[in-house]
Amino acid sequence: MESVLALLPKKIQDPLLRVPPDILSRSEEVRIRVGKPIEVTVAGQPYFIPYEVSARDAEQLLSHLSQFSLYTLEEELKRGYITIAGGHRVGLAGKVILENGTVKAIRDISSFNIRIARQKIGVAESLIPSIYNDQWHHTLIIGAPQTGKTTILRDIARIMSTGHEPLNIPAKKVGIVDERSEIAGCVHGVPQLEFGIRVDVLDGCPKAEGMMMMIRSMSPDILVVDEIGRQEDALAVLDAVNAGIKLIITTHGYTFQEVQKRPFIANLLAQNIFERFIEIRRDDKGNRSYHILNEKGQQVYVKAGAELHV
Amino acid sequence: MFKLLGAAIIIIATTWAGFEAARKLSTRPRQLRQLKVALQSLEAEIMYGHTPLKEAAQKLQKQLPKPLNHLFAAFATRLDQGETTVKEAWEESLTEVWSSLSLKQGEYEILTQFGEMLGKSDKYHQQKQIMLTMAHLEREESEAVDLQGKYEKMMKSLGFLSGLLLIILLM
Repeated sequence: MESVLALLPKKIQDPLLRVPPDILSRSEEVRIRVGKPIEVTVAGQPYFIPYEVSARDAEQLLSHLSQFSLYTLEEELKRGYITIAGGHRVGLAGKVILENGTVKAIRDISSFNIRIARQKIGVAESLIPSIYNDQWHHTLIIGAPQTGKTTILRDIARIMSTGHEPLNIPAKKVGIVDERSEIAGCVHGVPQLEFGIRVDVLDGCPKAEGMMMMIRSMSPDILVVDEIGRQEDALAVLDAVNAGIKLIITTHGYTFQEVQKRPFIANLLAQNIFERFIEIRRDDKGNRSYHILNEKGQQVYVKAGAELHV
Repeated sequence: MFKLLGAAIIIIATTWAGFEAARKLSTRPRQLRQLKVALQSLEAEIMYGHTPLKEAAQKLQKQLPKPLNHLFAAFATRLDQGETTVKEAWEESLTEVWSSLSLKQGEYEILTQFGEMLGKSDKYHQQKQIMLTMAHLEREESEAVDLQGKYEKMMKSLGFLSGLLLIILLM
């Protein structure tokens, strides 16, 4: 949280500092909208700070985020979010400028959504025995938005790249294709979150192309990719499997049965590539449960009522 | 004896003043040239390096000779402190170092105008803005070179000769 606060202009920082520290430290999002009070989301519940953000504050915030140099954010303004030091992501909304029908940039930014990245080291620890058996299994992580897919994926990648002594798992070469800078949270190409030594990250690279680039140039043992869903992603996945690389992938969905209905994922599943499926579910209270299925869709491990994370 | 000593002092003083004026004439085109080099490197930093202004200014500060490096040093420090805008930081640094530069009001206006656009748009627009500023500076430079050619020698002789005139009048 400190790293986020340090980036904010003083006028927005001050009202945030008046928030009770226990709320601030558990916050998931900080939303800043022009003309509206600042919103802090804690465990899914909004908490409003009575400070009306002015247009000048928003301008100041943007220039702080860009280090006074908007031209450094061209790509980011096209994609609609900025990754900042610490791996946090700032989503942007405002007036969109088009050029030849594609988004060129966002101007007059009126909403900022600072998603606070919290690496939960060790969340995937209990799942490891089920997805490792002399070697890592091809694994598909299934979960709805905000269930913590990426958090689990990140922790699995961390364990893979550091190795795991209690289970006698050696460190492997892990290639991460991080299209949205979410897994590793890179700034200037350097991961901001904790991984092992044997990690290589292609930051901001389209998944399908990135997977091919990784295979050709970095010879990873394991490829880690977030949010597979389009046709070209599925093709790249097949290529990687045939190149003898283990895959850990996430996809949107509520259950294994539901994912089987998604067009390109269904194709992948029909090839019987994946050996393990991790379903992440989250109930209304924010409690998570993990269900691990084997290649036949049979449950091999359940962990219910897991503690809150994200 | 005293008369001679006084005469010598007068000659030295006026000659020195003349040389000083001539030096100002020759440093102005030199500083303009250095400023153009600085803008060129800034352009490269922006276009190819995507370097943020603060880092670019710190690099320029190391590259440039005195006294221009102070301008970029001041600019970088101000950006580092935060709670400002690029425009304000640039203008404040300009006024801070202005007296140590041999540049004229026209150049001041060109440079403040340049600061207004700095960091506020995409890199192509930044490049255009830098080009425009360069063109303005180029014009000022050719004028400065002209003035230097015309008046530099004259200033030197004028200083010495006016001292001589003063002595003759006082004798």
